[in-house]
Amino acid sequence: MLEMASILKVERKKRRQVMGIIAILATLVVLVLIISMNTGYIRLSPLAVIRTLFGGGTAKESLILFDLRLPRIIIAVLIGAALAVSGGVLQGISRNALADPGLLGINSGAGLMVVLFISFFSTHAAFSIFLLPFLALVGAGVTAALIYLLSYKKDEGILPTRMILVGVALTAVISSMMIILTLRLDPNDYKFVATWMAGSIWGSDWHFVSALLPWIIVLLPYIFVKARYLNALNLGDSIATGIGAAVEKERLKLLAASVGLAAASVSVSGGIGFVGLIGPHIARRLIGPNHKYLLPVAALCGSLLLVVADTLARWVLQPSEIPTGIVVAVIGAPYFLYLLAKSRA
Amino acid sequence: MGQLYTKDLSIGYAERMIVKELNLEIPSGKITALIGPNGSGKSTILKAIARLLKPMAGIVYLDGRSIRSQSTKEVAKQMAILPQNPIAPDGLTVYELISFGRFPHQRGAGNLTKKDKEIIRWAIMETGLTEFYNRPVDQLSGGQRQRAWIAMALAQQTDILLLDEPTTFLDMAHQLEVLQLLEKLNQEQQRTIIMVVHDLNHAARYAEHLVAIKSGQIISEGTPNEVMTKEVIRDVFSIEADIVNDPRSGVPLCLPYALVTQEPLIATDTQSGSEKTLVSTR
Repeated sequence: MLEMASILKVERKKRRQVMGIIAILATLVVLVLIISMNTGYIRLSPLAVIRTLFGGGTAKESLILFDLRLPRIIIAVLIGAALAVSGGVLQGISRNALADPGLLGINSGAGLMVVLFISFFSTHAAFSIFLLPFLALVGAGVTAALIYLLSYKKDEGILPTRMILVGVALTAVISSMMIILTLRLDPNDYKFVATWMAGSIWGSDWHFVSALLPWIIVLLPYIFVKARYLNALNLGDSIATGIGAAVEKERLKLLAASVGLAAASVSVSGGIGFVGLIGPHIARRLIGPNHKYLLPVAALCGSLLLVVADTLARWVLQPSEIPTGIVVAVIGAPYFLYLLAKSRA
Repeated sequence: MGQLYTKDLSIGYAERMIVKELNLEIPSGKITALIGPNGSGKSTILKAIARLLKPMAGIVYLDGRSIRSQSTKEVAKQMAILPQNPIAPDGLTVYELISFGRFPHQRGAGNLTKKDKEIIRWAIMETGLTEFYNRPVDQLSGGQRQRAWIAMALAQQTDILLLDEPTTFLDMAHQLEVLQLLEKLNQEQQRTIIMVVHDLNHAARYAEHLVAIKSGQIISEGTPNEVMTKEVIRDVFSIEADIVNDPRSGVPLCLPYALVTQEPLIATDTQSGSEKTLVSTR
């Protein structure tokens, strides 16, 4: 005999565990935020940061914090969450723990558009700052659509494995096209493209925050509500159909949402890899494979990872800085190798 | 109760036709077993009935209406499916897995209601998983794992349950465990169960209705006594077998002893030839 009370007890325990992990991660994010805000060429003490945040700082402190650091930090938080959730969705629908937005050609598609634009107009064009994110978005969207079409077969629909392989192949093609194009660039433009591809949060004023925010506000809650569809798809197509999920339709919707998040991120930050791979991985270790809990936890892990990486990027080689994407890769790659070594064959 | 039958169902890929114009009626409230050799199309038929495969022509009727005209959610409230060798994500608990069976009854973000939890509790008890419901599925034994999947299907609360080789990859005790559970679900709740089974003796022992399939065609169907005959076994499986009655339950048992030789005509020839030789020596 199984008492209802013991089931409720197990559920309460799980809920407490989820809440605990979310609380710890959120606290860590806030801590790192404060550290990040006082890191930079001019140091602000934590006290000065807090004072300035509440409007009590000097004009110089306000300028540094509100106009220079805060937008960039907020972008890091948003992009970290977006990339991690995007990766979590891709891993769920492909049932492949190695899926990552970068694999779907989103980074390279966006990169190609940026390089194309620069090779015709150069970075000196005044309107480039406003046009680039938009172009990156178009490039990412077109590539994702192309991958979807190429991996679609009439009888079988989309097979996740085929989708990933098509993504890898298309990424290779796009990368070689980009190399050909970048070789023709002048040194200044070349440097800009190289930094962009390495993933630097270059768009760091409030315009970019307001460009990014709508995507996040719409797509994150949408995906969180769809978590039960991800749980269904994660059991395989047969069982997902069996329990009543319209597999093709739901997969397409989730894929589109995931591409939207990744593309919006890439347009502001360039090609930051690994967050979409590692964010969900850490979350899965912390909370298990139920997407209802996995996705919010992954979002926090992604934010934490990216704010830490961005802070390090600004701090390590002061007064110059290294692209955030490189820091993420330096932290992420060893962790990823460790995961591979530990995982079952 | 949902009636299930197929009308002129043809299934195949591109050029290869696997099943041609199949008319199969599944008796309600009984266990039906689809039997046949590898590649006979029995799993294909089950998948088409379960709407996992789109037929080239023909219709599957569920509750009097074409299965294609109903939303997949609607179908999922009438019919649950357990495919061959399903795999649960690492770390997923039995409770969570079973809760996914509530999917077709949920709306929106799908938080479990009091009623959902009550049904999950019932499914856990029904499948004897009380001790294991808080464990990860991947840490269970093969038989327990299969019971967890059946519990998920039960949480769907359907009249019909389809299973594709539910006992393959299990040892004998675990096979029995699963089959007895299915028998209980059928007897106590009159659930219609359709399963593909490899073991003929299991089919005869646990199913009331057998359908023998070869090359996508129904060769014989009926009660175990009607289907389990020397002739049908020879025709469908190309083996020679003795059919005896189980001393315990009285159901027919199949005891194979030889393969049917590829071309029986030659065998007859040699036989008559040797007879001739015998005659001549005499």
